[in-house]
Amino acid sequence: MVEEAEIENLEFKWGKKRGIGGKKKDVQFYESFTYDGVEYTLYDSVYLYKEEESKPYIGKLIKIWENADKTKRVKVLWFFRPSEISNFLGNDQTPENELFLACGEGVGLTNVNPLEAIAGKCNVVCTSKDSRNPQPSDKELQMSDFIFYRTFDVGLHKVLNKIDEKIAGIEVKFLLNKVDCQKSSGALKVDSKKKNIDKNATASDETLISAQKNIPENMTAKTSAKERGKPSLVKQKSLLSENPASNVDVESGGIAKTSVLEDVSTDSTTFRSKAKENAHTKISSVKQKSALGERVPSGEGAGIGEIVRSNRLENLPGNKSSSSSKVEFEKSKAKGGKVLELKEVVKSTKDRGELDNRPCKRSRLDTSVEAYDDKIKNHMQNLGRDSVWNGAKPKLGIIDFENISKTKVAIPYGIDGGPFKKQKVDEKLIKPTNGKVEKTSSIQPSIFEKKTDKRVLEVARRPNLDRSKWFKELPWEERIRVAHEQGTLVLLENLDPSYTSTEVEDIVWHAFKENCSAKMIQRIAFSSPHSGQAYVIFKTREAAEKVVTKLDEGCLMLSNRRLLVGSVRTPRFTGKQSTFVGHLVIDKLKFQMQREMREAVSTSHCSQPNTLEYDMAIEWCMLQEKLDCAWKKLYEQQGQELRKLKAKLKPK
Amino acid sequence: MESSTEAEYAAFLEKVRRTVYLDNLSPQVTESVLKTALSQFGTVKNVQFIPSYTESKNIQQFALVEMDNSNQAKAIISSMGEFPFMMSGMPRSVRARAAEVEMFDDRPIKPGRKIQCRWLDPDDPDFEVAQKLKHVVRKHTAEASFVLKQQLDQEEMLAKQQADSLKQNYKKYELLDSIMADGTANRLARHYDIRNLDD
Repeated sequence: MVEEAEIENLEFKWGKKRGIGGKKKDVQFYESFTYDGVEYTLYDSVYLYKEEESKPYIGKLIKIWENADKTKRVKVLWFFRPSEISNFLGNDQTPENELFLACGEGVGLTNVNPLEAIAGKCNVVCTSKDSRNPQPSDKELQMSDFIFYRTFDVGLHKVLNKIDEKIAGIEVKFLLNKVDCQKSSGALKVDSKKKNIDKNATASDETLISAQKNIPENMTAKTSAKERGKPSLVKQKSLLSENPASNVDVESGGIAKTSVLEDVSTDSTTFRSKAKENAHTKISSVKQKSALGERVPSGEGAGIGEIVRSNRLENLPGNKSSSSSKVEFEKSKAKGGKVLELKEVVKSTKDRGELDNRPCKRSRLDTSVEAYDDKIKNHMQNLGRDSVWNGAKPKLGIIDFENISKTKVAIPYGIDGGPFKKQKVDEKLIKPTNGKVEKTSSIQPSIFEKKTDKRVLEVARRPNLDRSKWFKELPWEERIRVAHEQGTLVLLENLDPSYTSTEVEDIVWHAFKENCSAKMIQRIAFSSPHSGQAYVIFKTREAAEKVVTKLDEGCLMLSNRRLLVGSVRTPRFTGKQSTFVGHLVIDKLKFQMQREMREAVSTSHCSQPNTLEYDMAIEWCMLQEKLDCAWKKLYEQQGQELRKLKAKLKPK
Repeated sequence: MESSTEAEYAAFLEKVRRTVYLDNLSPQVTESVLKTALSQFGTVKNVQFIPSYTESKNIQQFALVEMDNSNQAKAIISSMGEFPFMMSGMPRSVRARAAEVEMFDDRPIKPGRKIQCRWLDPDDPDFEVAQKLKHVVRKHTAEASFVLKQQLDQEEMLAKQQADSLKQNYKKYELLDSIMADGTANRLARHYDIRNLDD
């Protein structure tokens, strides 16, 4: 029953009906719906979360319906991030915010998802110069989260510069910019920061609820249907050290008007918040925010997360999964995260709540709460004393975003995203730590670059890992061949043989700030135990050359005092050969032999000691043994040389 | 919190234990050949060939064969150690060994490992040693490829030698055969008053 209650809490309302379909005419199509206070209309761009993915997927809603069994579904036409199709982009440098609209036919064009998988709105602006496309204004461009002007054909695996007349059966005019959305976000004005320096202010905290990027999204939400406006985004800045009082006005061309005036003074710790809202505004969310605002100036930074969290826990003792989500929620809020994030987090957990099995949910709670607890404290402490925070804000924002999406568990994609397996629960529990590590490590680069080089870098996971598994990559042999022709192939040597390919990629990322794909060369019987080798393919020839020279001139020392060596080497490709050294064929019997070979058993056997074959086989065995000894000796000798040299390095 | 990665890694180690590494395989050997050949030892669950990009063209194939359990894997290794095992040709025998973690392409990251890296300062006294170390590493690679070349040469030599002796042997048997066939043996037997060979 808990779950039902939870779902009801999640505000949901169907909007305009469209038509009826399905075999038994029991499927109702809709044009819009309101979900958790946000109105979604057909052809809106939305974020969707998938398990394991650090970044949310982005897609356009092209169909919305409710089945006879009351399950709500959306059909989504996908956008691709450059990283998801990096293998097909070649050497093109694409801006981070460029997306590619899926087109053509094949896997990855569209998917049907539970409506609850939607994690929030996303503002994607089409910048195509195409005459069919209403050109976006500069403001609109500024407000956009993403832009697109190219498409990616999922059948041909090709990036196209043109946009087809119809994609997935949808006329292209619906997929380009909307006319009304253009007006509204153009009128959007965000005004902030009235500086009022108060010397008494000592604490320095910043609560940035709602990032700029949310605003346009919400604006579109508001404008697409004028009757309701929901000021879920309130930009609230209380830079206590500098601006104890700040005014934030969010206006949207008179359609929906929300203004929250805040006066934060550290002296008196008074806090007033006024919110003027339209009829359908969700006041609760604002209240929440002001509550937070009050606490921040009072200097209880470290406490906030916990206080709020425990509140949440009390409020929702029944639904455990939701409580853990609230923790995330508050955490990101306290950190100065974005409202959007919060919503996404909450929503996704709610989705989870709906799609999950109950027992699974429970098990998740016990541990996850603990995990978050620590994390929150951590973050809060950071917030309290870390003055670097402000400077690093934009970056952190992004990273947080990733962290959060990481800690999130999986919204099953399949229609019957049934119960989660235990395994997944475990995975989730690991992620918070993972996320933390990632955060610290990805901040490092900027410091690292300034201070040049001398720091010991902890190699953690790369932040912007290309984990897309949308398309199968070419087989490695082919990739290595192509990369070698293009000069992007580098052979790294003297790696710890036990490193995995991913770890090599991470090392390259940390040492050179280059993304690459690596393949550890698999060990065979006579591989060196001292030096692991890996082929690394870089995005550009320049990057590959830079890495080789840098490794040549500088010295990159890995754990266990290994020095990385890089070189350009011509790989040899084993074409199919028909003969094999050591397999003898008697010419006259060749035909018969071939026939036998097809029936493997007749040729696969243990030699018996009374045959000629056996004698010869023993010769081979002896040769093999001899060679084995040779290899062993060689590597022993090499190991000694290495040890001797390493002894000359100064002790750690 | 670490339990699942550790569990995953433990499961992987288990897989390593029931896997056999095979080399000296002819390029003619395919997955189905391996499966049929090794099914006499147990159930072959998975076959994976290890690609080699660095070696020269006349190279043997390497494969990882995952069996149902580690006992079957051990059985393969011991019987192939006892008798030379032929697969898709003779007399060069297939060799089996226990698989090692580093042989697997899809190995999971070892839990709990931390990798560090740092660029050495050129003023650091270690810098020079480090340069030398790099040099040594390159030298070692060159040495290894030299040994590999030697290995291939020796293999070829042995093969040639065996081919020659096989040809000789074959010729000998053919000769014997033909003597029997055209009656020369019988004639000679009569001539020297030896009992007929056919009797």
